[in-house]
Order: sequence, then structure tokens, then C-alpha cells
Amino acid sequence: MTESTITTHDFNVAQLQAEYSQKSPQQILKFALDKFENLAISFSGAEDVVLIDMASRLTKNFKVFSIDTGRLHPETYQLLDCVRNHYEIDVEILFPDAAQVEELVKTKGLFSFYKDGHKECCAIRKVIPLRRKLNTLDAWVTGQRKDQNPDTRAHIPVVQVDTAFSNGDRQLIKFNPLANWTSSQVWGYIRAMEVPYNKLHEKGFVSIGCEPCTRSVLPNQQEREGRWWWENAQEKECGFHEVNMNSNHQR
Amino acid sequence: MNITLVKKIKSDGNLCRKSADVFEKLKQANLVEKIDHIIFADERKKTSEGLSLALQHGIKTAPFFIVNKEDGSTEAYTRYCNFLEEVLEEKTSEQESVLEILAQNPDLDFI
Repeated sequence: MTESTITTHDFNVAQLQAEYSQKSPQQILKFALDKFENLAISFSGAEDVVLIDMASRLTKNFKVFSIDTGRLHPETYQLLDCVRNHYEIDVEILFPDAAQVEELVKTKGLFSFYKDGHKECCAIRKVIPLRRKLNTLDAWVTGQRKDQNPDTRAHIPVVQVDTAFSNGDRQLIKFNPLANWTSSQVWGYIRAMEVPYNKLHEKGFVSIGCEPCTRSVLPNQQEREGRWWWENAQEKECGFHEVNMNSNHQR
Repeated sequence: MNITLVKKIKSDGNLCRKSADVFEKLKQANLVEKIDHIIFADERKKTSEGLSLALQHGIKTAPFFIVNKEDGSTEAYTRYCNFLEEVLEEKTSEQESVLEILAQNPDLDFI
């Protein structure tokens, strides 16, 4: 660890969120890269490519990973390779556990998500490999933005303790440098900096995931309507509607 | 150690589905006897004991577990798999654990 790095134990998230909430994505990313040696940028193969461009202008020493679910569009695979060559970086590609995928396909076929919902497939192909990777890190960087989904992302901070992937032994920090940017700002950056982008965007795709679960959207349609459109919102958590909470002690 | 399970009663008077699911899992695993108290967060009654506990611990979803330990500390668990592994020292499957994370963190869908 370099002299300037810090451990997650002496990382005051609330203070940093207050300090950095109005700063630029580049300032947030610089802080993250400076302070955490064991940090990686998550790259989905979509607009979050801007994070890689920003990082490349700050340092040559940054790590990027992406998850190949096995069901991505050809255009996304092409972008992964394009990014690797364009920025002359290694993009660590994570794969799902073959035995788990084989079992899912054997018992439920290749398109079970249309009938049973997408979460089982996402868990095996995406979240389990992600968790394995995050278990090796102190911090990670995502391209999550508030404007991507008013239901689930409206309040995401620029820095947070990742309660989903922290555990009793370790605290994982999550940076969302693009949290306050709009899609328009992201695309302004992509055009201005001539950042390579996923060609699916030219075909009306906004949010890009796996091929069977992603579709293009119409003008002014919310971008998340292009994902899992056959499902409705019945799978909500059983939240309390009457109480006002302001804590994150739970595990 | 003293363990309290808080189940939620919805505003229509029915038990919430997840509370029922978790309790069923506890029964199937013969772990109900490890729970010392079962109380309710009743959305029809703002002063219900369970809602007060949720507020006290900053908990947003049900069901949840409050664990009072021998050293005097208290820990709240909203993830059933975490509770099983860390408190009851029971094994859970990787897939079950991740599905629970996905259910509680809908923003993860879009990574």
C-alpha cells in the first residue's frame, strides 16, 4: 500500500459523500484511484465506458473488469475488445461458474427467465461472478446514475458503503462518480472525447444487458423499459411504509 | 444470546409474503426453536413493537432479526442468509444468498 492509500476502516463515507456529492465525476474518480490501491472499475459494455476514458486521463494504473454472462450481444463483445485496444489496458473478463450454468440450462432450458423471471439467471450468470470479484477488492467503481431508474436509483450517492457485498469481516466501498450526471451529459462527453461506444446505441438501445433481456426503446421512453419488459413490478421488497429510517446498521 | 424475529403485518391485516417465506424456511430447517421471541411490525399500528424496533435500528424491510449478544452488543440482520451463517452458523447455498442480495438491491439488476 502506498503512503496515500487508506483502509476502509478509516474511511468516513458520510463525510466524503457530503464533500464530494457536488464534485465532478473526474474529481470523484481521482479521489477513488488515489486513495484505494485495491480498487477496480466495473465495465458493463455500455455508457460506463466513459469511466475508463476518464481514468485513462488520470493514471495508467487502474484496473477494469467486466462480466461475460455468455449471453451478451456481439456488439458488446466487440466493444470490450475495442476498449482493450483503444486504451491499451487489460480488461479482466469474469465468467459464471460453468457447473451452475449447466445445471440451470439442464433443468430449465435456455430461456427460463421469460417464464420464471430474470433473477435466477442473473444470479448465476452475473451476480455470483461479481461477488467473487468484489470479495477480492476494497473498493469498486460503477457507472450507476440517478437518472437511469427513478424507482431504484434516484438516491444513489457518489460514494457509499456497499451493504450488498460487504460482510461481517470486511467493508466494501462503492464509488458512483456518474451518479449526478444525466444521459445527455454522458453522451456529450462520449462525443467530445471521441470515446468508443457500443454500436447498439445507434440502433435505439439505451440500457444494455444480455441479448435476450434487452431491447431498444422509443424516444422519451424510460431507458429501463428496455430491460425485462415482460416482468412487472410485483417483486418489490417488503418495505415499511409508515416508518422513517435513517440508518444503515443492518446486515 | 437472545434472538428476536420481527415479522410484518401489512396494512390489509395479512402477513407479508417474505415474512411467511422466512418463517417457513426456519420451520423446514428445524430452527424455529432457536428464536427466542417473535414479534410483529404491524403497519396498521404505528406503535407496534416491531415497527418501533425497525425504527430504532434503521431497518427498512421485513422480516428481520435482532440479536442481543452476550457481550451486550446488538446486531440487526435483514438478510436471512447472513443471519443463518453468522448467528446460527448454518450453511446456505451461494445461489440462495445471491438471490437474496438481488431481491434487496434492485439497482443491482442493471450492473
